[in-house]
Amino acid sequence: MRRFKTIRNLIVIAAVLAGTGYLRLPREQKFTEDLRERKIAHPQIESEIWSEMGQTSLAGAFGGLRSVMASFMSVGAYDHFENNDWYELEKDYEVITALDPYNSFYWDTGGWHLGWNAASWAKRNQDFSPAKRQLFEMEYLEKGDAFYRQGLKYNPDSEKLWYEMGAMWSNEFKRPDLKRAAEAFKMIRYSRNPVYRRRYLFTITRIPGMEEAAYDEMMRLMSDGPLHFSVPKFRVLALILGSNPNLADGVLRPRLNQVFQSKEVAYRDLYNYRARIKYDGYYAGNIDQLMKQLIDDLNVPDSLNPFITEPKRPLYPRAWREALSKRDADATIN
Amino acid sequence: MSQRASTSLFSLRRILIIAQSTVTQLVRMKVFYFLAPIALLFVGIQFFDLIWYQGAETLQPEQELRMHKNICLGTMMVFSSMFGIVATALLIPGDIEDRTLYTILCKPVPRLDYLVGKLLGVMAVIFIAMVVMDVLLVATLHFRTEEKLAEATQYMKKIGYPEEDLAAGRAEIAAHGPTLILQYGVLAHFLKASVIAAVALLISTFSTSTIFTIATSAMVWIIGSFQSVAREGLFTDPFSGGDPNLAERIVSTFVSLIFPDFKLFESIADGAVRAEDVLHTDMAQLGGFAALYIGIYVVLSWFVFSDKEF
Repeated sequence: MRRFKTIRNLIVIAAVLAGTGYLRLPREQKFTEDLRERKIAHPQIESEIWSEMGQTSLAGAFGGLRSVMASFMSVGAYDHFENNDWYELEKDYEVITALDPYNSFYWDTGGWHLGWNAASWAKRNQDFSPAKRQLFEMEYLEKGDAFYRQGLKYNPDSEKLWYEMGAMWSNEFKRPDLKRAAEAFKMIRYSRNPVYRRRYLFTITRIPGMEEAAYDEMMRLMSDGPLHFSVPKFRVLALILGSNPNLADGVLRPRLNQVFQSKEVAYRDLYNYRARIKYDGYYAGNIDQLMKQLIDDLNVPDSLNPFITEPKRPLYPRAWREALSKRDADATIN
Repeated sequence: MSQRASTSLFSLRRILIIAQSTVTQLVRMKVFYFLAPIALLFVGIQFFDLIWYQGAETLQPEQELRMHKNICLGTMMVFSSMFGIVATALLIPGDIEDRTLYTILCKPVPRLDYLVGKLLGVMAVIFIAMVVMDVLLVATLHFRTEEKLAEATQYMKKIGYPEEDLAAGRAEIAAHGPTLILQYGVLAHFLKASVIAAVALLISTFSTSTIFTIATSAMVWIIGSFQSVAREGLFTDPFSGGDPNLAERIVSTFVSLIFPDFKLFESIADGAVRAEDVLHTDMAQLGGFAALYIGIYVVLSWFVFSDKEF
């Protein structure tokens, strides 16, 4: 009798659960889809990722601790970075980003490890032949890029991911691909962050043939008010992009006294910018002409004249003051 | 006989009395003294800059605050779910062991009242514990948010954010502080724990051992977390992306029909941690699902318990 009751109870329980389950199933599915569409619910973990998950992360994912597991795995993955274990690091970040894909921080960190750290490690690794070094470096740069792009699919509003991708491709110590960098920086040129807003301009001034677009961008940024004039490179660009002879007649061409507070500041900024033309390919415009004029006006000593002495380091205000003091002292003695 | 006839099937007063005694019974349990201090300690120590706040996360204020919320809500979820299972699993066997059950059931107390009262008692203890943890979470998060806001404001001023953009930047960080949406996350975990407790109640009505009840309820908890995978597997194979085969279809149908979908609760809590726009209508829907699950499990528990002989 007792066994009969147990079996009967189990059948009734199963029948009721199945019946109510049939009724609630479409509602659950609709609610899940609604939450997923609004990015409140995570997407399903992809099939390849299941096999890469360790026991802990699996338990976490099933126990409802996806985000917590992602946080702790991210802290743990740092060990792979310290040990230069890039394969394990990549695998870990694939799992971390699958666990918490709407957290741009993990995509950013994963991209940084691959595109910056692993690529630099490959470039400097003396165990590899030069060809292999280059191959690995390129491979990791592409992996970093792919990681950032994948992250942007889930977090299209993440300015940080665009910024980091652009910074990776415009970094002079890596393998700059300025077109790809400009493509990334273009996406954040309307950012609230002034640093992000300027980067598109600073990148396209390094791309030959984009001088007119750079002028337009510079004018757009000038409409922000005095905000960007605290940045020396922007001050220089405001001056020299307007010197482009290909610009239409009648366009606004800012003058030196409109951009700089003094001729000394103008000279220092132009001096530093000129050094970067050579190494980073910035737009030259009429910089030589402007500098020669300032050298005459300010009576710049030969040690700070780039046409006589090759610049070795940036010209900081202190070095400028010291050079001028020395010049004045020498003049007094003479 | 006349007294029996006058006993109503459902009395709120009776239920509340049973719930009250259950609360007393539960807070005297060793399991409560073991789980609650650990959970409180884990939430409380977030006042300090622990090892997980010393990594790259600290470079992004939102990320650090998210980590804080993740750890606290995760602790609350584990505590509430585990307590929901263990406490409920111990209740009926405990009442049988100390013979309280006979004293109650020999009085004109319908078995439904007894079960609902017991479940409400468990839910009340979970609720009180979660309120205490929530107060700690809000306090610790408030201090961290203020600290991050001060640091970020200083940085944004330094790089020249205009005044209106600075306010917007601050608002973005403040959204990761103690907000109403975060409370929705806490509530989602409470609802989930309540459903788990109801599952444990159902299992304990026909189970003969506490260990079996705890183990089976824990299994339901885990399976319920990927019920949505099975449900979606009815339409596509989650592992290959193609059409599911017959075996997959049978397993998926069984899991989706029988088990509750805990992912819904987790999704709301995760969304709350990410400061996404969780709406009150979402909470109403979630509450509706929780009430439906609890209702079904309580009715089934009553069905099994009603003709159980002691």
